[in-house]
Formats: sequence, C-alpha cells, structure tokens
Amino acid sequence: MKAEFSPRRRVFLYGLLCVLLIPFVFPTWWMVTSSVKPISDIFAFPPQLVPERYDWTTYSKVFELQPFVKQYWNSAYIAALVTVGTMIVSSMAGYAFARIRFPFANAIFMVVLLGLLIPSEVTIVPLFQMFLKAGMVNTHWPLILVPIFGAPSVFATFVMRQFFIALPAELEEAARVDGLGRFKIFRKIALPLARPALASVAIFTFLHSWNLYLEPIVFLSSADKFTLPQALTQYTDAYGGPMWNIQLAAATLTALPVLIVFIIAQKQFVEGLAHTGLKG
Amino acid sequence: MAEVTLSNVRKSYGAVDIIHGIDLGISDGEFVVLVGPSGCGKSTLLRMVAGLETISGGEVRIGPRVVNDLDPKDRDIAMVFQNYALYPHMTVATNMGFSLEHRGGSKAEIAERVKWAADILGLAPLLDRYPRQLSGGQRQRVAMGRAIVRNPQVFLFDEPLSNLDAKLRVVMRGEIKSLHQRLKTTTIYVTHDQVEAMTMADKIVVLNGGRVEQIGAPLELYDRPANQFVAGFIGSPSMNFLNGTITAEGFAAPGIVLPLPAAAQVHTGRKAVYGIRPEHFALDENGVPAEIILVEPMGSETQVTMKLGETLATGVFRERVSLSPGATIRVRPDLDNVHLFAADGGQRLN
Repeated sequence: MKAEFSPRRRVFLYGLLCVLLIPFVFPTWWMVTSSVKPISDIFAFPPQLVPERYDWTTYSKVFELQPFVKQYWNSAYIAALVTVGTMIVSSMAGYAFARIRFPFANAIFMVVLLGLLIPSEVTIVPLFQMFLKAGMVNTHWPLILVPIFGAPSVFATFVMRQFFIALPAELEEAARVDGLGRFKIFRKIALPLARPALASVAIFTFLHSWNLYLEPIVFLSSADKFTLPQALTQYTDAYGGPMWNIQLAAATLTALPVLIVFIIAQKQFVEGLAHTGLKG
Repeated sequence: MAEVTLSNVRKSYGAVDIIHGIDLGISDGEFVVLVGPSGCGKSTLLRMVAGLETISGGEVRIGPRVVNDLDPKDRDIAMVFQNYALYPHMTVATNMGFSLEHRGGSKAEIAERVKWAADILGLAPLLDRYPRQLSGGQRQRVAMGRAIVRNPQVFLFDEPLSNLDAKLRVVMRGEIKSLHQRLKTTTIYVTHDQVEAMTMADKIVVLNGGRVEQIGAPLELYDRPANQFVAGFIGSPSMNFLNGTITAEGFAAPGIVLPLPAAAQVHTGRKAVYGIRPEHFALDENGVPAEIILVEPMGSETQVTMKLGETLATGVFRERVSLSPGATIRVRPDLDNVHLFAADGGQRLN
C-alpha cells in the first residue's frame, strides 16, 4: 500500500530532501561550473554559483596540455579488462567456494577474505618490486593484474559466492540428470542466473578501476601511459600550482561517462548496491 | 524401460547409518511408491538410484547394468523434483529440450520430441513462456514434460505434488497415473502422503528409519499390514489401536472387553495390540458400549470420536446417524477385519 501524506507533510518532506541533496549535488555543480570560469572567478567572494563570465578554452587546453585522449583510452581499456577479468575470476572462484565440496574450503575462503583486510598501501612496495623484476613497471600490466587477483576480486568473489550459495541445489541436480558436467552446469545454469550479482560486480569493479589512483602513480611514469585520475594532477602551471579551471574541466570529462552510465542504469546501480549489501 | 534392483543398499554419513541394507526389486513398467514419515530415508534412497547420492554399500542395478559408480547422466533416468527445478532463464520449450540438446539431438528431433511431450501434457500453448509465468500445476507439468521428452528407462519422482494445493494435487495425481498407464515406463515415486501412495502405486514400499517395513500392493498393505507401524501409517483416518491382553472371553483392554476372531484364541494370555480401522465398526444394539466424544459429519460419512473403555477411537459410519457428544452408542467390530499385533515389536499375530 502506498503511504499517503498530507500536503503540509509532503512540503516538509520535499524541503528536507532538498536540504539533504545539497552535500551530494554541490561538489558536482561546483566542478562543472568552475570548469568554465576564469581562475580568478573560482576564488571570488562571494562565491559565484552561476558563472558570471564563461571561459570555454579550458576544455581545449585539457587536450593541448596532455595526451588526454590517450589517457582516456588507457583508463577505459584498463577498466574494461579489469572488469571482464574480475567477472571471470570471481564468478569461477565464488562458484567453487559455494558449490564444490573440497577439503578446507571454508578455511581457504577465510584466508582469501583476509586479503580484504590488508590495505593496498601495505602491499604496494612488494608489488612494485615484484613487477620491477618482471619488467612490468611503466606498463599497464600491474593496473590490470593487481585488481583481477587482488582485493577487488576478493570482494567480487565474496559477492558471487553469496549468490551461488543461495542458488537451489535442485537446479544443479536437474542439470546433472539432464547430462551436464560441472563446468557446463556453471556456464549454462549457474552463470546465466547470476546476472544480477555479475552486474553488481561489474559496476563496482569498473568504478574501482576507473578511480584507481595509488597504483598508477606508483607504477607509471610516462604521460602517455597515465590513467585519468593520475592525469588530473598534471595540470599545473610552471610553478607547480594547480590550474584549477583546466583541472576541473578534465575532472568533468573524467566523471562524464560514469555520470551518463549512472543516469542510464540508475536502477541497476541501486539494485547492485542492494545486492552487495554495501553502501556506495 | 527397465527393471530396477536394489540389493542390500546402504547409506551412511560418517558413523550414522541412514539406509540399513534395503533389498527391492522393481519390475519393468511397474509404478512403485516409496512412502514413509519424514526422515525415513525415502528421498535418500531415490537419490541413490538417481546417482545424486553416493552408495555406501550394496548394489543398484538399472536393467542389466550395475550403476553404483555411474553419473546421473549415464543412468538413463529422468527425475521430477519437489520444487520442479525448472531452469528459470529458459522457456518451457528450452527447459524440455535441454537434455536432448546436450545429448547431441538434432534441432528437428528436439522440436519433434518437445511437441510430442507438450501435446501429451497440454503444454503446447505455453511453450514460449518462462517458468515464472506459469502456475504451480503448469510448472509441475513442465517438469514432467522435461522428464518424458527423453524417453528414459526410469522415471523418478521426489514428492512432486507436495507444493500444490489439495485440489490440484488430486488432479495431478490422476495425470501422473494416466501418463504412466500411457507410457508404461518404470517409475519410482516418493511421497509421505499415504493417500497418494494408495491411489497411484502398483506396489508400495513402506519405509521407517531407513528400513523396509513392508512391500506389497496397496490393498494388501491396507488389508493385511505386516506390523503395527504399517497398520498405523496406511489408511486415513488411521487404524485404532487398543493395548491389552488376549483372553478366553475376548480382548481385555482398559475398561472394556472386545470380541476377537476365533483364530486368536491360540494367543490366549498374550499381551497384544488390538487394531481396527474406523470403517470396520458397525452400529449394533448387541455391540460394546462407546461414549461419543466428537461427531464430524462429512456428508458421505460421519466420523465419530468415541471412548472404548478408556481408549479413544475413531469410527466412520456411512449411514446418516443422529449422534451427539456425551451419548453412549453400541458398536460392533467386524471380526474379519480385526488385526492383532504383538505388544513387543508390533509384528502381526493373526
């Protein structure tokens, strides 16, 4: 049954929601509007919520000062590979932990979960040394391999395992009677049914990779290999001071695909969040 | 179609024995129902035949082959599960043709077999629907369709009607029975509902605590139960039991002496259980007195809960009778249908 509110109560409720909206909307609004302001207007007092003067050249400078298209591509393809890789690894690992009986399965799963408790700052130095020995520093491999086999994948494995545990055992048994082996049961029955869980894994993995900051600044040193979060820090003047308006223009362009995808797939995002039992 | 033979089949989980060495022969085309209370091992036994549970000891044969170590897919069986286990992401047609697809059937052959099964089960208009778009009865039919489409040697049903409402259960019971009469495929059917067992089976296997209590035709079990457990389990309302002693005057139960068949005199002096089904009481002026506790008119019959001496018993009378609680009536047990069981162990005495 839909709750009915009196008009007065409704006005109050909408008012409250509008106030609560401010901390969420204001940073994005400030980023977008400041990206077209001359730098002096960004710091003007009183603050200009709507720009009084527009400077659209900031956007062209984003591309002039750095190989921004290349960096955009770097972020996109790394995030795509990480997402696909994590979906494959986590779905298979999650299925194995949930459905295959093997010795010490729960103990091994606990050990895997412990990976979530170790901050990336702790492992970054040994990882750097490892990739240095493998000749992979200043390549994209660490940014692809670390998330696929690291903490993000552990979290994704946990999500997938929880889903597969809830899958009725009779479906697998029916598939066994129908003539399917273990891998086909996984591919033809379990995986298609796991689409909601896979969608949440995809959303979170993509966002994690897209926003990754620490690993790129440790592993990458050439501008043409940079990813977007790292590239944003490079818009500085001759004295190392940030060129705020250009940086915010680049930040707007960086946030754009995520915003568009969010607006289009709002429902899936929210369901994905609900599915993982986590807050955004 | 094939015979199924279980020889000394055992199942243990660690030190706990679940199935204690069961021997059972099922003829080609026979409809056998495994029945028993919850936890008696009937589903485990069925799953062992299916290959979904390992066998701790003994031998399972389907046709001439020992199938102990074969995968379910290699046993040539089809199974209908309690919750139907339809693949939610596939249409009815895909669900039904799925096993054929994975056994290398051609598209034309699969379509033909699916159509054949759909026609038999009245599923033709539903072939493009998904399981979530079907009612409980329709899902049940699809599960059956998935089983018959492959023409297996044995059908296995694991409590397939327990998720349906009472009315639909009766309808589906008839459909499964007529399907069996049409296809004549060897069928093993598990249920805890003795009415289902009685109405559907060629042969009933009553299980209790992982052991077979009795194997026989439905009426054989009803008329001559081998022990008190079977007597109490088969039949609804269930058989009345009175504890007492066999004497020269009759069966001496607390507060009452009941008449006994002449053959029972060989057990004179023995402590026993007197069993009589509710419909085997007749109203008779010369009968034993019974105080009426509860009267339940059912239309076609009247169920009466009454006190025979100090023991509560149920009587079912076909005739329209005017009875009221608190009154005393006189009832006569039908001596041809009196069952006597040993007080220790419950084995049949007469």
